[in-house]
Amino acid sequence: MIYDMKPWAWVKHVIFHPTEGFEDMRWKKAGSLKIAFFIVFLLFASQVFSSRYGGFAFNPRGYSDVFNIVPILVQSVAYYATWVVANWSLCTLFDGEGNMRRVAIYSAYALVPFIIGNFLSTAISYFLTLDESIWYTAIYQIGLWWSVILMIFGMKACHQYNFTVTIVTMIFTVVGMLIILILLALIMSLFQQVYVFFATIYTEILYRVRS
Amino acid sequence: MKLKRIIAVLIAAALSLTFMCATVSAVDPYTTYNYDAWWNAIPSQAGYEVIQTVTYRDIGLERVRDPSSEFFISETENVNFSDMKDFFISPKGEMYIVDTGNNRIVKTDMDFNLLAVYKNFPGSTSKHIVVDDQGNEMEVDADNLKAPYGIFVDEDDVMYIADRDNQRIVKCVGETATSARILQEYYKPETPLYESQSFYCTKVLVDSAKNVYVICPAVNKGAIMFSDSGSFVGFYGANRVEVTAEVIRNKLWRKIASEEQIASLTKSTPVEYANFDIDDEGFIYTVTEVANASTDAVKKMNPAGYNILERTADNNQFGDQISVTYNGTTYATRLTDIAVSDDHFINILDYTSGRVFQYDERCNQLLIFGFDQEEQRGGFSNPNAIETWGDNIYVLDGRNADITVFGMTEFGSYVHRAIALHNQGLYEEAYDLWKEVLKRDGSFYMGLVGVSKALYNQDDYKGAMKYSKLAFYSDEYDKAFEANRQEGLRNNFTLYVVVIIILVVIYFVIKILQKKGKIPRRLIATGVGKIADGCKNLAVSVVDKVKKGGKGK
Repeated sequence: MIYDMKPWAWVKHVIFHPTEGFEDMRWKKAGSLKIAFFIVFLLFASQVFSSRYGGFAFNPRGYSDVFNIVPILVQSVAYYATWVVANWSLCTLFDGEGNMRRVAIYSAYALVPFIIGNFLSTAISYFLTLDESIWYTAIYQIGLWWSVILMIFGMKACHQYNFTVTIVTMIFTVVGMLIILILLALIMSLFQQVYVFFATIYTEILYRVRS
Repeated sequence: MKLKRIIAVLIAAALSLTFMCATVSAVDPYTTYNYDAWWNAIPSQAGYEVIQTVTYRDIGLERVRDPSSEFFISETENVNFSDMKDFFISPKGEMYIVDTGNNRIVKTDMDFNLLAVYKNFPGSTSKHIVVDDQGNEMEVDADNLKAPYGIFVDEDDVMYIADRDNQRIVKCVGETATSARILQEYYKPETPLYESQSFYCTKVLVDSAKNVYVICPAVNKGAIMFSDSGSFVGFYGANRVEVTAEVIRNKLWRKIASEEQIASLTKSTPVEYANFDIDDEGFIYTVTEVANASTDAVKKMNPAGYNILERTADNNQFGDQISVTYNGTTYATRLTDIAVSDDHFINILDYTSGRVFQYDERCNQLLIFGFDQEEQRGGFSNPNAIETWGDNIYVLDGRNADITVFGMTEFGSYVHRAIALHNQGLYEEAYDLWKEVLKRDGSFYMGLVGVSKALYNQDDYKGAMKYSKLAFYSDEYDKAFEANRQEGLRNNFTLYVVVIIILVVIYFVIKILQKKGKIPRRLIATGVGKIADGCKNLAVSVVDKVKKGGKGK
């Protein structure tokens, strides 16, 4: 096997060699942050695609006039970002060897099967009836679980853990994500109130000045 | 000769113009709306319009004070209606109006000519003592009604009157123009099953076997059922308890709490229904007057008391879908009466908004009309009862003391004829009618569904897909889609097979040639490059198309 590959070839290598791929990548210090961010963008795009398109019988919601992009943005980009931050913060404490750059790259590479499954299942739903929805579900689920397995081995290689510790840290990472998101929501509502306070003062002063 | 022809053409044109003008009908004082697939209220055509508002003057009730008239009761008798609670149109086509405040029954024909004013009810067999809610005993005012609340008339003109404050059901027939002879009285059942002290009956109904069904607001076990002989049979068709968070919590508490604690818990009891109606097949329709009740708000019950109403998944909401808060008051649907027409359209009257909601026998929302602006014609203040006769719908308003007659518009009649065919499965026969409906209201939900089904039956699967998509009816779409796909595969099967075989052959040929080294790597690379260029051009053209045509097809 030749391990002097171009950046995109590494993505392919990692996906099709779940157990060894990430170790190889770590050994060769390969993996590109640019590609990682592009993959995250693709994740966002696939979420938008699957919520706006698809066969009518499978996704009637996609054909309504109302479309809000914010939840999808949160479900892709924000989840990814919090995952990276939470995983890095936690694994630094747990003697993990990965730095944040690596966590970002490895997690993004692991997402590729999910993205492909998402695109494919949405595309295939144009040709399926509801009775055959098992194909739709199968493609989606295969992509999802493939990504989960990649994610486990990716984090394992990234931090040089054994299997159990990887699973435990991943579970705690999810908890950490929740905490981060709750704190973010709190801060946002707080800032909103501060903003409202100053806005009220502003309007109040305006009234005084005018009268 | 030529001049004559021109004049003839002109006259014809003028005539046709005048006829066109003549078809323009009166505008309603309110905007008619309907619900679309997302339960949004959207403007719609009026299916009914007010054709008459009837007061005591139109009926000629002044004659109750005129000694020379056969309807004379007394010099001081109130001529106007007072707080009517109910009315009934008998199978023979006579209207019985329960004039609750004046303790009398007014009978007219369908043109509102006075036929009788029943004030005296002789023939009561015995003096009866009843007990009210506070435990006070009082004697029944046997020869008169005391706040009658409901009436039912069978095909022999026998009246069944819910004589509320006398706590009895009176079965009587008209004798003279002002009195009716009592045949039988039904009092509170003397049985331990009947737990309430009083028998304040408000509505009454009789089936073809002469069983009498009575609604008492204090009894939530269903309607009280008497046999023809007057004996208590049992309760009929109770509502189920609506599952709320409180009910679930109480249920959990009951598992762990002690006897005393359980006793202090509130019992989960069903809500009693407000009113009912019976159709010509003997099915009883009930309606429950609770704000936003979704459990058993409207029921169609068989003789055993089971709800047999066919409901589609998202269609168990009746009346307005959302309550509106305006000026600090919340307006939520309170369904107060139900009337089933001879052709099985279900009309439900909403007390709050004064609106009538019409459904077909499968509970598809058809038409909504009426409103609560009491000052205007067609508006209601205390809409208490609704009845149907032919194509007309009658709404009784207690405070305005009038009866409003709604007549069907052209749009309404198209809808009715179309849905009648549609529900018999005659989709193709209904097609033209639905097209007429859609001409007048392009987003009429059942119209879109009907056209879709008709096109499917005519093997126009593309059209069926289009209309079921418009109706947002994904199951129907799926059916049409499957048929369309099947047809496409069948028609082009050879083509598909040939293309697949050719592709496979090309693949193997290339592989073999590659192995033999006959195709250099570079050639493949250029070939792949060309294909990639082609793909790029295709993608660009697709993007252009999408930009032009919005979201694809």
